[in-house]
Amino acid sequence: MSERRAEPRESLLEKLLPPALILAAILGVWEALVRFYDVPPWLLPAPSDIAARFVKATNLLYHTGLTVLEALAGFAASAVIGITLSALIVHSRFLERGVFPYIIVSNAIPIIAIIPLLTIWFGYGIAPKIMIASIITFFPIVTNTTRGLKSADRRILDFMHSINATRREIFFKVQLPSALPYIFAGFKIAASLSLVGAVVAEFYGSDRGLGYLVITSATQLRTDLLFVSIIVLAALGVTLFAVFGYLEKLALRGEAAVER
Amino acid sequence: MRVEDVEVTFRTPDQVVQALSGVSLQVEEGEFVALLGPTGCGKSTLLRVVSDLTHPSAGVVEVRGRPAAEARRANEFGFVFQEPALLPWRTALDNVMLPLEVVKYPAAERRARCEALLGMVGLSKFLNRYPHELSGGMKQRVAIVRALAWNPSILLMDEPFSALDELTKNQLQDELLEIWSKERKTILFVTHNISEAVYLADRVVVMSAHPGRIVATLPVELPRSRDPGVRETLEFVQHVKRAREALRL
Repeated sequence: MSERRAEPRESLLEKLLPPALILAAILGVWEALVRFYDVPPWLLPAPSDIAARFVKATNLLYHTGLTVLEALAGFAASAVIGITLSALIVHSRFLERGVFPYIIVSNAIPIIAIIPLLTIWFGYGIAPKIMIASIITFFPIVTNTTRGLKSADRRILDFMHSINATRREIFFKVQLPSALPYIFAGFKIAASLSLVGAVVAEFYGSDRGLGYLVITSATQLRTDLLFVSIIVLAALGVTLFAVFGYLEKLALRGEAAVER
Repeated sequence: MRVEDVEVTFRTPDQVVQALSGVSLQVEEGEFVALLGPTGCGKSTLLRVVSDLTHPSAGVVEVRGRPAAEARRANEFGFVFQEPALLPWRTALDNVMLPLEVVKYPAAERRARCEALLGMVGLSKFLNRYPHELSGGMKQRVAIVRALAWNPSILLMDEPFSALDELTKNQLQDELLEIWSKERKTILFVTHNISEAVYLADRVVVMSAHPGRIVATLPVELPRSRDPGVRETLEFVQHVKRAREALRL
């Protein structure tokens, strides 16, 4: 085992202190400049104004919850459909040839162009938002899973054939676990994308959600609320990425993650 | 085991490769046969044909009186490769258990069986280690007992020791001979190492490439229960010399 031992582990404080100091400095300069030049709040609100808005904002939790729900529902649908489709693709040459071109096309369609169409069909509720979040996450999940399922060690597959293992046994005991690092790499990308999908879908025809909050606060020049929405979105993105990174570590134990 | 007039041709987009041509071979129950030859002589392909992983274009393979496909379905073959090819997410013990989950082996006896096998190759203390925590030699030991787990009658070994350092290789060769003398498997052992073939086998089958075919069969007339000292005897050196001459054909 040739694991590199880093120097004694940094404490949490040592790790967090430098970025925290830099953040404080930036906020301080920002605050000072806004106050000193008396910048109008619709152009650039001071950090303290944004913080005040964050505390006062009503329904922020409701909007956030809705967007997260849409993103995760779309993500989950994509994960189930995508992994199933990948499993079928690696088992059938016909399906691989027949379906893969369309998966690539699905990635090429600008997602914004489909939102009006889905709204015509499914109305202004959360259904089209979930669909957009699902469409936007589909490609990274399918391509990563397919690549992962194909990454199974050829000799282990030979070994399994030589003891007359069934396709099912080979899939669940060898191919699917081999694909896990790839699947999680896809999940990490898809998690952030699902949030983008949900928010963009809310831009068009919606009366709730963080995307709605972004659009309305922008059109009403409530720039402090706009900042609050952006910060919440950024925090959500980081959290999702961290959660899937953590799940990946749990699932892989000593193995290396797939870089993408 | 009987292989008769086997031909294997592979078609690639721009050429047809004859991997095996007119290969016939008879192996007795419990015999240790080494397949010796340069890379590309089809010795690995021969293992795959015997175990029904590759279908011959012509010829017959019969294993213990039945076609290769039936023997495969009866789990007669234990395969060992050049690389250990273990599942990285399973511990040593769980890797050895893998085939027992596939062949219908009584669930209650699996654990004890695998622990005993790993104990036999000196890995009792490493049952719960993951492959990345084991040395190359240890991993290959796990791969060998994985191929023995369900007690198949035939071991097919494809250059199993060629990726190991000299010391580990010699150790594993002796361990393999000990296993073989205890369990009396039929072993087909592919190698490109002449002295390894002579040291291990009852019979060295020398192959040659383009097309892959058998050019000589040399019985090894060294006493059984061989120990490392045998390598220094005149007889051993003469066997190696004969095999080397056969390879030059």
